[in-house]
Amino acid sequence: MSFTSVDFLEIDALLSEEELLSRKSVRDFVEAEINPLIAECYEEGKFPDHLIPQLGELGVLGANLPEEYGCAGLNNVAYGLIMQELEACDSGIRSFASVQGALCMYPIYAFGNEEQRRKYLKEMAAGRLIGCFGLTEPNFGSNPADMLTKADRVTGGFILNGAKAWITNGSIADVAIVWAKLDGEIRGFLVDKDTRGFSTRLTKHKLSLRASITSELLFEDCLIPEENLLEKSNGLKSPLMCLTQARYGIAWGALGAAMSCYDTALRYSQQRVQFGRPIGGFQLTQEKLVKMVTGISKAQLLCLHLGRKKDTGNLKPVQVSMAKMNNVAMALEVARTSRSILGANGITGEYPIMRHMANLESVYTYEGTHEIHTLIIGQSITGQSAFG
Amino acid sequence: MPVNIIVCVKQILDPEIPSRDFRVDAEQREAVRGAANLVTNIFCENALETALQLKEKSGGKITVISYGADSTEDALRKALAMKADAAIHILNDGQAHPDPLSVAQVLAAAIRKLGEFDVVMLGRESGDWGVGQTAGLLAEELGVAAVAFVDKVEIGADGLQLKRQTDVGYERVAATMPLVISITNDEHNVPRIPKTRDVMMSFRQPLTKWTLEDLGVNAAEVRAGNHYYAVVDLFIPVQELNCEFVDGDTLEARVEKFAQRIIEVTGSM
Ligand SMILES: Cc1cc2nc3c(=O)[nH]c(=O)nc-3n(C[C@H](O)[C@H](O)[C@H](O)COP(=O)(O)OP(=O)(O)OC[C@H]3O[C@@H](n4cnc5c(N)ncnc54)[C@H](O)[C@@H]3O)c2cc1C
Repeated sequence: MSFTSVDFLEIDALLSEEELLSRKSVRDFVEAEINPLIAECYEEGKFPDHLIPQLGELGVLGANLPEEYGCAGLNNVAYGLIMQELEACDSGIRSFASVQGALCMYPIYAFGNEEQRRKYLKEMAAGRLIGCFGLTEPNFGSNPADMLTKADRVTGGFILNGAKAWITNGSIADVAIVWAKLDGEIRGFLVDKDTRGFSTRLTKHKLSLRASITSELLFEDCLIPEENLLEKSNGLKSPLMCLTQARYGIAWGALGAAMSCYDTALRYSQQRVQFGRPIGGFQLTQEKLVKMVTGISKAQLLCLHLGRKKDTGNLKPVQVSMAKMNNVAMALEVARTSRSILGANGITGEYPIMRHMANLESVYTYEGTHEIHTLIIGQSITGQSAFG
Repeated sequence: MPVNIIVCVKQILDPEIPSRDFRVDAEQREAVRGAANLVTNIFCENALETALQLKEKSGGKITVISYGADSTEDALRKALAMKADAAIHILNDGQAHPDPLSVAQVLAAAIRKLGEFDVVMLGRESGDWGVGQTAGLLAEELGVAAVAFVDKVEIGADGLQLKRQTDVGYERVAATMPLVISITNDEHNVPRIPKTRDVMMSFRQPLTKWTLEDLGVNAAEVRAGNHYYAVVDLFIPVQELNCEFVDGDTLEARVEKFAQRIIEVTGSM
């Protein structure tokens, strides 16, 4: 039976028909096209890249960017619901969409000039051109400000040197958004996959996000033409603005993963009989289910509130930190609890729970670790930085 | 040859809700909405999909019409998101479940108001009451031919080539237009999933709203219904499973007893 999202608080009543119909479109697509193959993709460590054009056609790539660039122009709640549905399937699928939309199309839209927007956005929305976002380096994860990758000015452009690690979509990307220091300041560069001196290396043996591509990017004296600089990018705050976009989507996505786990566990608890009754009839199981549905419901309210704020343009990045931190931790907790309800069955690939659980370990770490978001909020409320 | 297509759709309670959540109000003789969503009847969506595929080949125009309560607008927006060209909502401010003849009269009045058409497509029946009369009655009201249980529509030499399902197999029918077709499901007319961009666009498209008065039908009569059809009782059947063993000394005796029991239980020979 198909996945149903949790609506204990009747939050659906607060969604517009447009938002509900967008959610349904993506849910139907996921159910028909991705769910049947995701478990196998995961086991084989394969990203279902043949679905990219269909995802583009469905309109989920950069869905909240304007229509004049070939995007769907949806509001941020509809966009969030799309992320929820994708991650209810698998965090790897949602990661693909987040990277393409929030980390690649958004910076081109926000920091690029009109020519760059026209050249890339439509193709990227259609899934004909794939992007990746290179910020993290082997030695600089939580602290990207100290990155070593640098660009030097030469006639006609820049020479780029350095390395990026843990880059989603890296090996399949046609264009990499690379953050590097130019005259000591962090700037964004569009690096074409065929640039001489640019190579990628697949990150293997991952036990999390297996249905997603992760790579290293290596730059050896790459000549980047002048017109590939994202002109309006300046300083660390530019990549951080991208991350705020993506983290917003992750907060919704984590809800999807949690709902999928909870939905599976609830159904299982009603069917599995031990000691002569369904295990959902035992108080201990009920407490688990109640904690889960409460956690999910609170996280839903958080997302919806932030979505409405984002639509009116008064969302603060620190509020997004709270949603990313809370919702991913909640989802991980729900995945672990759901796993326990399924007993031995919970550890198999027959059910999505263990896959979600392993995926969420990555989600917990990327886009600002749980700890870093804690420090961001801590600094905001106390006025004291505890980073260094 | 461009075809002017009208598709009639109905919004119903989601028939896919878990059976344990399904309730009926025996007094009102109505299903209780409960937590169920309202959805477009699946056969109506098969009809729209068939129309969309026909239009993709032949060109033309698809107008979707629905007679229903305020919420029906959602079904029409979805039809627009699936890429129907225009949508008309005829507001039903009367009884919740008008009889099929009243519905056919309203739809016919709307179709006459629209003017010309080549083909009207409807679902073969709706997933709530499953009466399956509307298409035939509508054809009668419009004074055109009807073909039922069609699962494939193609352009023919001088009209349409239809494939229809029968009790024993398939029939191929050559039909001249205008006509009314009731559509059944088939692997070729699985409704498409609307794209998110089209979903958003559908909410910006105009949607025509007509009242019964706008259609010039006798609204009081339509609201009162045609009284040829009434739900006398509504209940969820109780399923009982009993297991009985027949005994007997010989195989023949057991078979004899077995046959006897079948006659007793079913009350027929
Ligand atoms: C599957 C996957 C995909 C990814 N995709 C991308 C991508 O597309 N693009 C990209 O740029 N990056 C990507 N990343 C990288 C990700 O953003 C980093 O892993 C993350 O920022 C953390 O960096 P790190 O792994 O180097 O951990 P570290 O920064 O070394 O942190 C290790 C631990 O120390 C803690 N810690 C660090 N500093 C502090 C502090 N001041 N106070 C308290 N605790 C601290 C952290 O919270 C963490 O628990 C991806 C990562 C993964 C796993």
